[in-house]
Amino acid sequence: MVVSKSDLKKFFTSIQSEFDVFVPYETEREVDNLVIKKFDPEKEYVLEKYRTVDPVRTLYYFPSESVLPPSPKDKKRIIAGVKNCDLMGLAVLDDALLKDNFVEPNYSQWRKNSYIISCDCTDALSTCHCVLLDNNPYPIKTDDGDALFDINLSPVNNGYIIKVGSRKGEELLQKIKEVCSLKEVTVQDKETREAQRAEVRKKVMDINADFTPDRNYDVISENKEPSVWKEFCVECVQCGACTNICPTCYCLILNDESTKEEFKKVRSWDSCQLAGYAEVAGGGTPREYKWETFRNRYQCKHNFMKFNFDKLGCTGCGRCISCCPAEIDLREVIQSLQEV
Amino acid sequence: MSDKNPYDVLKADVLEVIEESPTIKSFYLKPEKPFEFATGQFIELSLPGIGEAPFTPSSSHYEKEKMWVTIMNAGFVTNEIHKVKKGDVMGIRGPYGRGYPLDVFKGKDVLLLGGGVGLAPLRCLLQTMLHDVDDYKSITVCFGARTPADMIYKDQIDDWTKYKTVAHLCTVDNCKEADNWNGRTGVVTVLLDDITIDPKDAIAVVCGPPIMMKFGTFALLDKGFKASNIYLSMEKKMYCGFGQCRHCVMGKYYACKDGPVFTYEEIKNEEKIWD
Repeated sequence: MVVSKSDLKKFFTSIQSEFDVFVPYETEREVDNLVIKKFDPEKEYVLEKYRTVDPVRTLYYFPSESVLPPSPKDKKRIIAGVKNCDLMGLAVLDDALLKDNFVEPNYSQWRKNSYIISCDCTDALSTCHCVLLDNNPYPIKTDDGDALFDINLSPVNNGYIIKVGSRKGEELLQKIKEVCSLKEVTVQDKETREAQRAEVRKKVMDINADFTPDRNYDVISENKEPSVWKEFCVECVQCGACTNICPTCYCLILNDESTKEEFKKVRSWDSCQLAGYAEVAGGGTPREYKWETFRNRYQCKHNFMKFNFDKLGCTGCGRCISCCPAEIDLREVIQSLQEV
Repeated sequence: MSDKNPYDVLKADVLEVIEESPTIKSFYLKPEKPFEFATGQFIELSLPGIGEAPFTPSSSHYEKEKMWVTIMNAGFVTNEIHKVKKGDVMGIRGPYGRGYPLDVFKGKDVLLLGGGVGLAPLRCLLQTMLHDVDDYKSITVCFGARTPADMIYKDQIDDWTKYKTVAHLCTVDNCKEADNWNGRTGVVTVLLDDITIDPKDAIAVVCGPPIMMKFGTFALLDKGFKASNIYLSMEKKMYCGFGQCRHCVMGKYYACKDGPVFTYEEIKNEEKIWD
């Protein structure tokens, strides 16, 4: 089915009583300027282009919130304009926070209450590198089970091809149909989608022409030579921006805010890049030096998470590169290791 | 997917506090309902408004109504816990992690090598094994402390050694004449010179400060214990206790979820396990 742009906006406007709707808006910055905000019918949103500044994780896993008792989540949400790199991030978080017998109470509620309308990328930033991770700048639904999106949109002439990815997506489509008049997808629409997807993929490939797509991540842990890592981390100021903005980082600290009457636990983001992260009461730490702390993020994303979840913890969104005050480029670090 | 909140806390009344040494106290707790755990697993013990930290209970896992927890004053939270008095309320959540595989230990010679407050989890294991003492070929308890005053559980040795298959050896790093210490002196590994069990198929369980765990493990290997038969109770910084805060990650493993009990064989290739 194809929905027109104006109809989709009509749908978002009409559904606000039932759902909190979040969409990306452009800010005044020239590039990397999309910010997810609450839908405002008076303003023009942007579903396509590229990823938002903050990862969608921030809408599921707040910087600080009560886990005991869990913070209330009354209203359902629609989060629109999510890109594939963020969907891949949620896949890692699902493995980390919903598996085993231990289910993160807030994250699981948000996952249940939120509906994702993703969108193909139509442009790329200089830091985008999903293709180096075998990902694409658009999500695909495979035959087995639900996709990571509920509905995906592929832009075509003044509208979007709707692809349903899950049962929640079916539910959403019914609601869209109540407000919008949908058209059948034409052969030309499909051709437009495929051409557009190929073009963006090529754009991301071209951006990353200097980097080898076939990367060996084992070298990150195997390379125990401090001098290599010491060189990489010279300019790192250990601010933790790279982890705070990562779509797959979920490290937490827990604070006890209990009273005599009630136990209350509050969890907040932590960062392995901050000093003292792994330090125990006696003062011991497994990562004594800055280069070890610096290397830990690379090990965690490419070695540890791969072992823990059989998925890489890097989705190629490139946010850690965009936000680094020292202009450290994760792609260059990994590339250099290939050549050591 | 479980609907249970993994952060749920059980209230526990403090029934008794014992000063074991100048830096170590034991707390006798009564949770609001019986608390099931397996020896070697740990709990997060919280002091309302202050914080929480991971500890392994030091009483048998057959004792479900009440539990002992032995705690060294080593940092902010434990310093506050040491101010707790009889009648106060604490919080318990858990149990978490993988404990000691008692089925593997059964029928074998089991050596417990402990140092300092590391005796706490070993006491839990020992009390649990004593419940079924005939299931084990023998139990050798080798405990070390810095000085005679730092040696905890001294008054319980007779209870342990009344079984003919249980032996107890202890040493202190150093002592003064006034201490009236008749036992051995030297680090805990000196006790390995005195053991009589055949290390080939024996189980060794090690718990103590990192440096003691490291050299204890190496001494056991020298003695002929197999890496796959040496069980280590690993301690790392932890918040959640169930694999979500990532602070305790040791390479591929989580100390909380995959441990805290590991064989040396399992983790010997991970970096910096002793730090």
